Parts: sequence; structure tokens; C-alpha cells
Amino acid sequence: MKKITEALKAEARKLLESNAVDLVIAYEQGSDLVHLTPLFANTPEKVDRISYNPFAVNNLGKYLLDYAPGEAKIGVVVKGCDSRALNRLIQDNCIPRERIVVIAVPCSGQLDPEKVLAKVDPRAELIEVIEQGDNYVLKTSAGDVTLNKKEFSREKCLTCETPVPVLSDITVGEVKGEGKANDYAAVKQLEALSPAEKNTFWEKYFSRCIRCNACRNVCSACNCRECVFDMMEPYWVSKKTSLSDNTVFHLTRAMHVAGRCVDCGECDRVCPMDIPLRKLNQKVLKDVKELFGSPTPGSSAEAEIALGRYNPDDPEEFM
Amino acid sequence: MNKIIKKDQLAAVLDSIAAKYQLIAPVQDESTVLFKPGVAGKDVVLDAVNSTVSPKGAFFPQWETMYIYNTAEADFAIKYPEEGPDRVLFGIRPCDMMALLHIDPVFIGSKFGDYYYETKRNKTTIIGVSCAKVAHTCFCSTFGGSPTGNKGADIMFYDLGDKYAVEVITDKGKAVADLFSKFLVDDTGAPAEVEAKAKELASLLKPVDVTGVKEIMDGAFENPYWKELSRKCLNCGVCTFICPTCHCFDVVDEAYMCDGQRVRCWDTCMAKDFNLAAGGHNTRPTKLEKVRNRFMHKLKYHLDRYNLAGCVGCGRCSQKCPVNLDITQVISDVKAVK
Repeated sequence: MKKITEALKAEARKLLESNAVDLVIAYEQGSDLVHLTPLFANTPEKVDRISYNPFAVNNLGKYLLDYAPGEAKIGVVVKGCDSRALNRLIQDNCIPRERIVVIAVPCSGQLDPEKVLAKVDPRAELIEVIEQGDNYVLKTSAGDVTLNKKEFSREKCLTCETPVPVLSDITVGEVKGEGKANDYAAVKQLEALSPAEKNTFWEKYFSRCIRCNACRNVCSACNCRECVFDMMEPYWVSKKTSLSDNTVFHLTRAMHVAGRCVDCGECDRVCPMDIPLRKLNQKVLKDVKELFGSPTPGSSAEAEIALGRYNPDDPEEFM
Repeated sequence: MNKIIKKDQLAAVLDSIAAKYQLIAPVQDESTVLFKPGVAGKDVVLDAVNSTVSPKGAFFPQWETMYIYNTAEADFAIKYPEEGPDRVLFGIRPCDMMALLHIDPVFIGSKFGDYYYETKRNKTTIIGVSCAKVAHTCFCSTFGGSPTGNKGADIMFYDLGDKYAVEVITDKGKAVADLFSKFLVDDTGAPAEVEAKAKELASLLKPVDVTGVKEIMDGAFENPYWKELSRKCLNCGVCTFICPTCHCFDVVDEAYMCDGQRVRCWDTCMAKDFNLAAGGHNTRPTKLEKVRNRFMHKLKYHLDRYNLAGCVGCGRCSQKCPVNLDITQVISDVKAVK
């Protein structure tokens, strides 16, 4: 992985020094061994801080929205899952393609920080991560730790559709591994439940929600300038964390991102209350696929967008 | 402190308390640990380093009805909620107890006392439980805390493996301790064990030095550091909602026809409408102002107002921030940027 880090630094430096971009959004080492943190490199000095390893969990595509107003050109490091968000943002005219330089990193799966924490000294220094077949070897100042990818990966990585980014201007690292079509096994299990059982399942989670908005704010599909949940007039949804208001929050969000949710799984990752939000969004993803015959949103720049275009010949019978 | 309770007796001890008081204690809900009211002794879980959300909600709930009204009635027929039962908050960790002491002066003792917070505080007896282990994100000693600290407790339970050393600190605590006195056993060796445990745990805390940080923050308002730092913030409210010292709230009226209620809810300086004023002006419109405000509040404003730290080093925000925007990193960065 050292090679990828060095290549990212070289590419970022080239882009900044040639004024091809004003800013490169990448990763740097976080505050402990199991975290990388977003880095905003706008000078060649900051480029030296760039780091990349299987803890690069954040979908950096979301930050493009912060730089959409104006003319700045932005370089952004993306993995396969994140790259779908870029396509989708471009399709929605959130930011023009010409203003983005996509630095694509083919991904062999991300490690789950929570799972890895149990195996390492989090305060040790991470010297290097080496990929060895089915394992990642973490070389740390407190010794080497070998982690089996299947066991320590983030759950979403086990059913990754696009390990190789779907769009790219610069590709860093080797292309290996192929995507798998998602079989939506977890969704099918939930679909098999009775309405009462489904209700019990989701009520348990929704009642736990503290409405911190992390799922919304991390979501690249949540790009409304004014969000219904921020509005005081009309006051659509109460700030009370009652089960009723929380349910409105989550179901509204799930329906509202239908056709735009790229299944990056960030909502699921950031929820402090461990609400299985990806299960909810995958139900919508699965329905959109079945009803509109469209691929996972963002999978290609050309694919027809479900629920995102007006068509006078809409086949819907009642229209 | 030379009395102990065997851990296998804990559920019975808690049930003897619950017979007279409403018991508020941490329970496991899958991967989360949350303080809940009205729990049974056997359901109380103390294995986690700390609860997912701080127990400040026992005094300052995420939302509460301040009063209900009816606009068709004379004088709006305002009705206030009942005071609620006497309560025992069990299982709160030393950092979170310190946090309560640090937010007390916001709600109590000033010219404008807060009836809702103060009433709950007065009606609650606090039984602290010392830490059995620390997380790599724990740094309570930075702000004068300790994994075995008893500040703010009416009774303190010190975790000693298979038993708790018990220290009754206040009269309020004594009234509760009388309920479980039959479970107390003499153990003259306990105080020495507590001292050893305190030393062991203190050595495992994350070393974070705040010396001089307040003085730097006094002059750092315009420092370009905040703009750079704030770029990665998503302006979600995870840090502020799970924090034991964040205490901002919003008050809204919720009405249907003539019936309404005035509700107080947690607010967060990360929210879009946090500083939105009538007329549409927002004094903290962007990530820069919001992020700067959070750290200024933790490391400067609270000290300015109350001479108390705005952070107690519980480490929750370091653990849960979606983008690893870590306050301990901010503290060390600030020292370097001055």
C-alpha cells in the first residue's frame, strides 16, 4: 500500500504544481491506528501528508458539494463505491465533470476499524499495510498483525459491485478483482417477515435514533440546498425524537434518496446508534432495480436514471 | 471505603434500591449501551467502558414538554408536567459525573435558574461506578478527572474485579445506602486495592496536555487553522449529542388546533438553524464558524464563564466522529499553530 500512497502523492503534487486543480481531496493518517481522515491539500507541502490504506473509509465525493459553487477544479481520490457517487452528482448537475479530476484507486476491501481495534494497539504507529492474498498485514510499531480480509473487512466490502472505480482520470494502483452482483440476501430476509414483524424490527431501531443527522450529512445523495428536516416553516418534522418523528425522518430519507443512493454504505458506517440503515436503503435499491430495470445508481455515466427524468411517454398506466 | 459488595449480589442490591426509587442505569441494546429509567437490577450492564450516549439526558433529556396549553381557554390553561419520582442514577462513570458538575452552573444558581434541570437534579441520588478499564480514547486526567474519581457522587462503587468497594459520601447517599446495608461486607484491604487500581488505570489514559491551550485559544479566533480544520467536518451533530457537557437547546411550540405544547430539545451548533435569527441572518453560517464555536466552547468559552473546562475527556466524540475530527488532535494542533 506504500506504493499507492507514494503514487497518490506524486499525482497530487503534479496536479497542484501544474495548476490542473486548486485542491486535492485525499486521506491522511488519523488520530489513531485504525483511522484515516480526509485531507484537503491545496499546497504541495500538504501533499506530503497524504496516506492511503484499508482504513480509507470515507466517501470523499460528498465534499465536492462544498466546492460546487465557484470555479475551482478539484482532484478527488475515490474507491469503487465512492466513484458511483461522482457519476450521480455529475448526472444531477451538482458539479460539472470538467471541474473534477478523478484519482481512482482500485480497492481490495476496507477494514472495519471496530473489528481491528480488538487486535491491535490503537496507539501504536502504523508503519505500513501489506496486501498478501486473502490477508492484510499491518506493520505497526508494536509488531505485525495479520488480518484475514473476510473476517475483518467491512460488511459492505464482502459484496462489492465495483472494486474498480467506474470513472477515472488517473488510476493509481493495480486493477485486480471483479465485482459481484449484489444478491440482497439481507433484504430478502427482511422481506420474508410479516408486516408486524417488520414493524417490530424497525421500531426497535428508529426509537433509538438521536437524530444527529450524520446519515444525512454524510450522504452524497442528500444534496438538497434546503432539507425538509431543517425547515422550521413549515415545521414538517418535529425535533422531538419520538418514535413517530424518527420514523418519518428515516422513511422520508429512504424514499427521497431512491434512484440517487449509490449504496456506498456511509450512512450505516457513521450512525452512532448502529441503526442498520444500509438494510433500509438496500430495500429501496432493490425495488428501484426491479421496477425500473436500472443498475445501481452511478454505475455508469450513461445509464438511464430512475426517478430522475421527466418522460412524456412514461409507461405508468395511471398517468 | 472498607465495605464491599460482591458482584454477584449487585442485581439484588439494585432491586432493593428500585423498590423505593426509580432506577436509572445502563442497559445493553445490541451494540449500544444506554441509560434507561425503570430498569431491573438483572438488566444493568457495566461491561462497557462507557455508555454510547452520555447520561446527561437524565437531567437534560433530548426532548421534554415544558408545559401544555390551550389557546381557547382563559389564560391558555397552562399545565406543567408533574415533578416525577425520586430517582437513583446508577452506573455513571467519573467523567460523566464531572460533566454534570461542569454544566450545573449553566442551569442552577444563576439569576435565571432552570426549573426542569434543577428539579431532576434535586430528586436524583447519584451512584458512580469507577472504570474497570479505559478505552484508547479516554483522557479524563487532562481535565483533572480520574477513572476512579468520586467527584459528584453521593455513593461511589469502586470496581475491584469480583467486588465493589463502597463509599457513602453524602447524606442523600446514606439514605439510599441504608436500603442495601445488609449486602455490605467488611473488607479492610479494599482502600489499598482501590488505590492500586487508580494508579494502574491512570497510567493507561491517553496523555493529552492542555497547558497553555486556553491562552492560545484567547487569541486564536481569526487563526486560519479553523478554516482548514473545518473542511472535513460534515456538520452532523454526533459529537454534540453524545457529549456529556454540550447543553445547547432549542424551544419550539408544537400545536394542533387550540392544543399545544412547548417543547425543549437538544440543539447543536452544527445545525443549519442554530444561529439563524429573525430576518434570515445567520451569525455562524458556514463550517468554519460552527467548528470553531465547538472547540472555542470546549476549550475557552466555558472556562471564561464558569472557570470550568468544557470537556471532560470521555472520548466519545473521538470515537464516533464520522471523519475522525478528534478533539485531542485539535488540542495538539492548536499548540503548534499559535
